[in-house]
Amino acid sequence: MKKTTQLFALLCIGAFTIAALGCGSSQNASSKTPSKVMIEYWHVNAESFGGPSVKQLVEQFNKENPDIEVVEKYNPDMYKGLTQNLQAAMASGKSPDVVQMGYSYLNYAGENLKYASIPDIITKLSPEDNTYLKDNFLPNVLSLATTDDGKQIGLPYSVSVPVLYYNPDVFKQAGLDPSQPPRTWQEVTQYAKTIKEKTGIMGFFMQEYADNWAQQALIESNGGQILAKKDGRTMAGFDTPEASEAYQVLADMVKNGHGLHATNEEAFQAFLSGKLGMVCTTIGKRDNFEKSAKFTVMATQFPSFEGKTRKLPAGGNLLMIFSQDSDKQKAAWRFVKFLESPGALALWSKGTGYLPPRKGVTEDPQGLKDFAEQNKNMQVAMSQMPEVVKWASFPGANGLQAEQALIDVRDIILSGKQSAADALKQAAAKINSML
Amino acid sequence: MNRFTWQSALFLAPATITLLLFAYWPLLQDVWLSFHSWNMVSPTMKFVGLQNYLQLLSSDELIKILLNTVLYILVLVCVNFIFPYLLSFIIAHRLNRFSFFYRSALFIPSTVSLAVASILFLWILNPLAGPLNIILSAIGLESPRWFKESGLVIIVIGLIIGWKVFGYNLILLVAAMVDVPKELIEAARLENVSNWQLFRRIIVPMTSSTALYVFVITVVFGLQYVLVPVNMLTQGGPDQGSSNLVYIVYQYGFVFFQTGKASAFAILTMLIYALFLIVKTKVLDKKVHYEN
Repeated sequence: MKKTTQLFALLCIGAFTIAALGCGSSQNASSKTPSKVMIEYWHVNAESFGGPSVKQLVEQFNKENPDIEVVEKYNPDMYKGLTQNLQAAMASGKSPDVVQMGYSYLNYAGENLKYASIPDIITKLSPEDNTYLKDNFLPNVLSLATTDDGKQIGLPYSVSVPVLYYNPDVFKQAGLDPSQPPRTWQEVTQYAKTIKEKTGIMGFFMQEYADNWAQQALIESNGGQILAKKDGRTMAGFDTPEASEAYQVLADMVKNGHGLHATNEEAFQAFLSGKLGMVCTTIGKRDNFEKSAKFTVMATQFPSFEGKTRKLPAGGNLLMIFSQDSDKQKAAWRFVKFLESPGALALWSKGTGYLPPRKGVTEDPQGLKDFAEQNKNMQVAMSQMPEVVKWASFPGANGLQAEQALIDVRDIILSGKQSAADALKQAAAKINSML
Repeated sequence: MNRFTWQSALFLAPATITLLLFAYWPLLQDVWLSFHSWNMVSPTMKFVGLQNYLQLLSSDELIKILLNTVLYILVLVCVNFIFPYLLSFIIAHRLNRFSFFYRSALFIPSTVSLAVASILFLWILNPLAGPLNIILSAIGLESPRWFKESGLVIIVIGLIIGWKVFGYNLILLVAAMVDVPKELIEAARLENVSNWQLFRRIIVPMTSSTALYVFVITVVFGLQYVLVPVNMLTQGGPDQGSSNLVYIVYQYGFVFFQTGKASAFAILTMLIYALFLIVKTKVLDKKVHYEN
C-alpha cells in the first residue's frame, strides 16, 4: 500500500513537472528548432490480422508529419494482452500514447486506467476541432466509446456488425429469388423450411462462437435486453417474453430440422461447400467467405422482427490516448485524427474487414466509394451503422463467467432440452447470483 | 547408513533445484493464488481466504466436471490401453508377416500434432459436409451432431486423443510383448494351452510392468491432452458437456480471468491425481512383475 502511495506521489510530481515544462516550452517554442515528438501506438494486429495495414498507416503519417514520429507496437493476445502490458507500463511511468481498446474492456478501462480524455484535449489543445466529434460520428456510434457513467473515454475506431449471408445457388434451387432475401425472422424461418423441403439442404445457422454477440442482436431487436438496471445495480435482463420469443425462433428452426445447431467451424465449412443455405454472422467473415466459397456469397441486412427496430451490437475497438504531457497529447490527437480520416479508414477497412465508424467514408472518393460500389455485401453492412448499439458486457469480477452461463444456455435451448423461456429464466437467476 | 556427503548433494543439486524451481515453487504459488481473487490484469489482489474452495465445492458444475472426467478416463483407457494391448499381442505373437508395416503405419499418427488431428476430425465428422455423413446418408442414416450432444462429444474427443496416443502406446506394448521369452510360449504350445490361457497366464504377467506404465500415462497424460481438442472444437460445450478437471482450470484462469478459482481447481485436480498415484503404488504395483 505504501509503495503505491509513493508511486502515485511520484506520478503526480512527474505530471506537475511535465506540465510546468510544457508551459515553458510552449512560450519559447518559436525560438527553438522544431524537434520531433515521439509517440507510441499500441495495437493488437498480428500479420494475419491487419498488421500490414497498421504499418502502412504509420509510415504514411510519419511521412506527412515530419515533426512527429509514431512508433507502432504490436501486443499479442488481443486486448487482454494489451491491457496487461498497458498496466505494467503505466506502473513504471511509461505509458504509450495511442492505444486500441476492445469494446468489452470499455468500463474496465474507464474505471481503472489513467487515460487522457479526448474531449478535454480538444478544448485545451485543439479548440478548432470543437465540433469534430459531433460532425463526424453518429451519436450511437460515438456512444460505443462512452462508459456507463457517461464519460467519452476514446473514439470508436473499428466496428463490425452481424449480417445474414446466403447462397444464391441454393436459393434458386429451392425456387427462391436471390434478389429477395428474407427481411424478417418470420421470412427466415419460411425460407429455411422451403430450402430444406425443396433441396434437402440445411436452411439456416446463427454463429455459435464462445460469446453471445449475435444472440444479443436477436434478443434486442425483438425489444428484449441482455442487461437491465435495477436500483442502480446491473442485472440479467433477458428473462422477458421478448427475449425468449426471439430465442425460440432459433430453437424452433433447429427442432423442425431446417436450422443447424453445430460448431461454428462445422457450419462455415458446410456453408462454403454449398450444404447450408443461410448463415448469420459477422461482416468480419466477408473477405474469408467471398474468397473461399465456390459460389457468389451474398449478404443482406440482419433480419428484423416485424415492426420493431433492429439493434446490432458492435464488435471491434476504440482508440484511447494515454499521453501525459501536452506536446505528446497534441501529437497523439493529430495521429488519432489521421487514423479516423476517410483515406486511412478506407485502407483499414480493406485490410481488416472492419467498418469505418465515421460518417461519410463510404461516399468519399478518397474513402471507400469505389470499394463499396463494387462490393454489395460491404454496402449492406454499412447501411446498418445507424442501428449499432453497445455490446453488452456483464460487470464485475464474475462478468465473464456470467457470459459463459449465457453461452451454456444457448446449448440447452438449441438442443431442445428446455424451452427458451424456462432456460433463460434459470440462467438469469444463476447470473444474478453471480453479479 | 549415513552416507550423505556434500559430493552427492552437489550431484543431486541441478535436478533438485530445477524441480524445486519449476515444479514445487509454482505449486506453492498456486496454493497462494487460490486464497486470492485476482483477474491477471488488475494491479491489486484481494485475499479471500477459503472462499474460492467453498464456491467450488458448493457449485453444481463440480459434479458434472467430475463425471465428465470419469467418462473421459473410461474412454481413454478403452481406446489407448485395452485396445492397443490386445493389438500388440496380435502383432507380436499372432502375426507372421507385415508386423513392421503395421507397427509403423499405426505409429505415424502420433507424430502429428493434436491441433491438426482436431481439425481433421472436425472435417471428417462435419454433420452436413463431412465424408462420414456422406457414408451415413448413403445408408439412410442422419449424422449426429457429434460436438453438440453431451456424452457423444466426450467419446469423439477421446477418439481424437486416441488417434494421437494410440500408436505410441502400441509401440511400448509391442516391445514388452516381444520381450516375453519365446521358449515360454513354445513350451506352452507343446502343452496344448489355448490362446486365452496363453494370454492370461503368460503374457499378462510378463508384460504387467509396461502395461501398468502405459495405463498410468493413458490416464495422466490423456486428461491433459483433452485441453487442445476441447479448446479448439467445443470450448467446453455443449453446456459444459466436454469440460473436465484440466479444461476447467484453463477456463477459469484464461477465459474468465478468475485465477483464484482456477488455482483452487488446479489444487483439487492435483489431489485427485495424487490419490490415483497412491492407489497405483499401494495396490497395483504389488501385482506387477518387475524383471529386475
